[in-house]
Amino acid sequence: MAKKANKVNIALIDKVKDELSNLISGTKDKLKDCCYIDLRLGVGEGQRAMAQDGMRKFSLRDYRFSYGLRVIAGRDITAAGYFGQTLGSADADNLAGVIEGGLRQAYERAIANSRMKSERKNRWEILGQSLRSTELAPMEICQHTVPGVYRINPVDVSLEEVSKLTQEVSKAVASYDPRVKVNQIMVETSLIRELVVSSEGASLDRTYALTQGLCVVVAIGNSGAQQTHYDVIGHQRGWEILIDGIDEELIKSKPLMHFALDLAADNVSLSETRPCPSSDKEVAVVTDPHYNTLLVHEIIGHPTELDRALKLETAYAGRSWFLRSLKETMLGKQVASPLVSAYSDPLLPGYGHYEYDDEGTPAKRVTHIDKGVFRGFMNSRQTAATLGVSPNGHFKAIDASLVPLIRMSTTVFGQGKHDPQKMIKEVDHGYYLVGHRIPSISESRENFRITARKVFEIKNGQLGEMFRDGGIMANTKDYLMSIDAVGNDLRIYPVFNCGKGQPMQAKKLGNGGPTLRGYARLVGGTK
Amino acid sequence: MKELRELEKSVERAVAFLKSQPEIKSAQVFASANNRLWTRLNYTSHIPCNGVEEVKSTVDYGIGIQIVLDGPDGSRIGFGSEERDLSLEGVKLALEKAKQGAIVDPEFRSLPQATGEKRSLFDYHDPMVMGITDEGLVGGGWKILDGALWSFLGSEKLRNMAPGGALHDLGLIVGGDLSILQERMAISSYDMPAVQSDESAAILAHVTSMVEKGDAKGSGYSVHLKLSDLDDAAGSEAAGNAINSLGGIRVPSGDYPVILGPQPIGELLSHLVIPSCTTGSFYSRQSCFLGKLGSQVASDGLTIVDKGNAPGLIGSKGITCEGLATGETTLIKEGVLSGLLSDWYEYQRILHDPNAKEKLGVNPGDVQQALVPRNGFRFARGGGRNFGTQPHAAATNVVFESASSTAFEALLKQIKRGILVGRLWYTYPIHGLRAGDFTSTLTADSYFIEDGEIKAPVKVNTLRINDNIANILMGIRGMTGEARPTILWAGDQIVYAPLGLMVDKVHFEAIAEFMDAAY
Repeated sequence: MAKKANKVNIALIDKVKDELSNLISGTKDKLKDCCYIDLRLGVGEGQRAMAQDGMRKFSLRDYRFSYGLRVIAGRDITAAGYFGQTLGSADADNLAGVIEGGLRQAYERAIANSRMKSERKNRWEILGQSLRSTELAPMEICQHTVPGVYRINPVDVSLEEVSKLTQEVSKAVASYDPRVKVNQIMVETSLIRELVVSSEGASLDRTYALTQGLCVVVAIGNSGAQQTHYDVIGHQRGWEILIDGIDEELIKSKPLMHFALDLAADNVSLSETRPCPSSDKEVAVVTDPHYNTLLVHEIIGHPTELDRALKLETAYAGRSWFLRSLKETMLGKQVASPLVSAYSDPLLPGYGHYEYDDEGTPAKRVTHIDKGVFRGFMNSRQTAATLGVSPNGHFKAIDASLVPLIRMSTTVFGQGKHDPQKMIKEVDHGYYLVGHRIPSISESRENFRITARKVFEIKNGQLGEMFRDGGIMANTKDYLMSIDAVGNDLRIYPVFNCGKGQPMQAKKLGNGGPTLRGYARLVGGTK
Repeated sequence: MKELRELEKSVERAVAFLKSQPEIKSAQVFASANNRLWTRLNYTSHIPCNGVEEVKSTVDYGIGIQIVLDGPDGSRIGFGSEERDLSLEGVKLALEKAKQGAIVDPEFRSLPQATGEKRSLFDYHDPMVMGITDEGLVGGGWKILDGALWSFLGSEKLRNMAPGGALHDLGLIVGGDLSILQERMAISSYDMPAVQSDESAAILAHVTSMVEKGDAKGSGYSVHLKLSDLDDAAGSEAAGNAINSLGGIRVPSGDYPVILGPQPIGELLSHLVIPSCTTGSFYSRQSCFLGKLGSQVASDGLTIVDKGNAPGLIGSKGITCEGLATGETTLIKEGVLSGLLSDWYEYQRILHDPNAKEKLGVNPGDVQQALVPRNGFRFARGGGRNFGTQPHAAATNVVFESASSTAFEALLKQIKRGILVGRLWYTYPIHGLRAGDFTSTLTADSYFIEDGEIKAPVKVNTLRINDNIANILMGIRGMTGEARPTILWAGDQIVYAPLGLMVDKVHFEAIAEFMDAAY
């Protein structure tokens, strides 16, 4: 179907880029005691559809359009004020005028915040000393336009095609086996363009495609055991990934149809298995790259976000056991087996890919663990200034109207040298966990329990019985120190719903790792 | 923020326009305006900080249209919305999207129709909350911080911990936020043409405080309907609770009787019980109460009611986002699963589902009153009634009502060796909702009980619960009559939870022993 011209499309940014850059720099110069302004503008064109049990349930082609502002201002002590707004077609012809209104509001908030901060700095006696001006660490100021990468432009696909694929996959899953009782297939494909401009002269204009297929399957076995599992295929690519699958060095996926049927097959098999047993003591556990995607997300990615470490997330997502105070940290200390490395790299492909973050900082690979030694955090300009380090480009928001947070880009366990098959063969008795399911992590990420899709017993180096409803529980450091083999099979998977922030921002990002072998307690269900 | 009258006019005009389009069999139009305001707090005595870290807001308004079209394969239904344009032009843009996306859904019966229940809540919000200024927003955040900081500065216990008066070396933390929600909506449809509207506003404060050197953490909450009630209580409560938690001990793994405080009750309800009490979760066979409508699912001392129209409660609304009256839905009555939260679509779907009897445990036609759609809301974007979202079942005020109650001290006296759980963290149904297995860690406000008395605080992040929600619900042995509202991160509903709810046995695992020597 031919694309119908819409007032809100990604080409809009071409029309307003220079005007908005001038507005931001000009406003900063005009406003009294204003130190800094940045603006993020986002435009997206996309479509999504949902089918359940072979029936179409929803389809929509729409746009998204929003902006967000940060103003840092103040006389004695500086403070920040923010303003965010979602926009519509009616704003397209008067964008600068709308944003001017937001600038006034963000500035007034910054000035009021600065004044009240200054009052408390004096009033709170010794406890007022830690109140400081809001400072951003210096960074390279860049101007760059980054084009999107796709073979089939998401905007060129008809909504009917999106809806049809969704229904066909759902129908196929529904008819796969009578034990499949419910399935839901959700597809989205879109083209997004984001602009970051600042009063320092940064101007980053990035376009990217985003395509995703999410499958949920409920199966009930002959004994009545119910299994619900979901999985997602996704990439910063076009519609082609759902039709052809993905075959890249680090990211591989079958086309959506086969991907969904594999999930259905797993669910049906699992619904006929016994519940996973629990162990009183630690046992050998081999975990596959899909399981380690969630593991690295929870036990490495989150605690290496510097906003958590600096306590900004104490009330929400939690702190980090890697940093207690600026003088008490794990930097330079052994926190894992020497076989373990872990890092975040925005330049890797997949959901976590970008060249510049939402402050315009050039994205850099951050080593978190090198040969078992803790090395560093993902940061923003403000948290980098607090720690006295350089910004590394991990400040991201899911929508321009929301304030960015420090987020994972693509956080992975590094590649090892072991053959994954041998890692299993070397185990006399243990368990092989395949696929991640649901996590629960303690507040500073010092302990975790994460369930797997499938758990196999390993006996004399061979895979034995498969169990449902099981996972492992361990203290993070104890587990990381116990790792005695790291596979040579690094894979990256999409994580589509990482929640953080107030309001909650459910972000798409990348995680992954190779097969790992360590020791942890096996935990099954209560029934 | 758009005035209510503008929203009302817009939906009236939209319905008139849609009626002039011959291909449209039926339609519902929903317009809304929402402001979400936050001051996000971050005070750290040992790390440079801003105090009020973020003063921010997101604002939106627009119109959403659900239509039913004639088609050769049956009725087609579509949804479209347009942001920031309440004019006829905006209506046309939304309609174009709805028509383009319209699909045949064999399970669709109709757009919402009057249920016979009448609206009972009118003019219940404080106009002053709608008019809060930026100065007031920023000041509200600093006021909460004042409450925490003066509690720290006034604490003899902290002074004794800090040689030379160096309180800042203790690692004092105050985090959280002040959130203000301002919501307006109007709705009209072919089936319910009289324009209805609603206006609500609420103030919520959610604070966590720590004395990090002592591994002590406390929480504070407050909710207000009136701007004049906004005070520093959440801050002072959180700091006070952190100070009270100093000197925490480790507790060995095992089964213990517990008293759950308001936050853990809210957490368990929000992550396990409420999602299992929706018609949608029964339809999709995911409820942990599958097949048990009308059956015992909890101790007979437990009665839980969703009160969507209760005056003076924070989560109350006059009408749902489907234009239906809000009201009371008894979810569990004396331990028996008695009702489910519904939106119109899921209500119709379960009534006509050939497998409904197997899923519910009873014939849906026999329990229609237990399924009345009083909870179809369009909550999204961190709060607010969003025109760009289709309705889904959501709880409002979940209130405990029990025939008998026990004083908190009397609950304590019944426990020889147990745990008062004050705050849970990261509670999830670890094997899916249907299984009911959950895990969670104790992160604050918890105490070890010995011989009927509070013996010592439990050190933060040293215990994990591994259990099943059925064991918790069936193991309830008593609760206080006094309750308080609890707020959960990213939660839409408010749980008015008892100050204490006693459960006879919960399984705990001691965790994170390595942290004792980490620094």
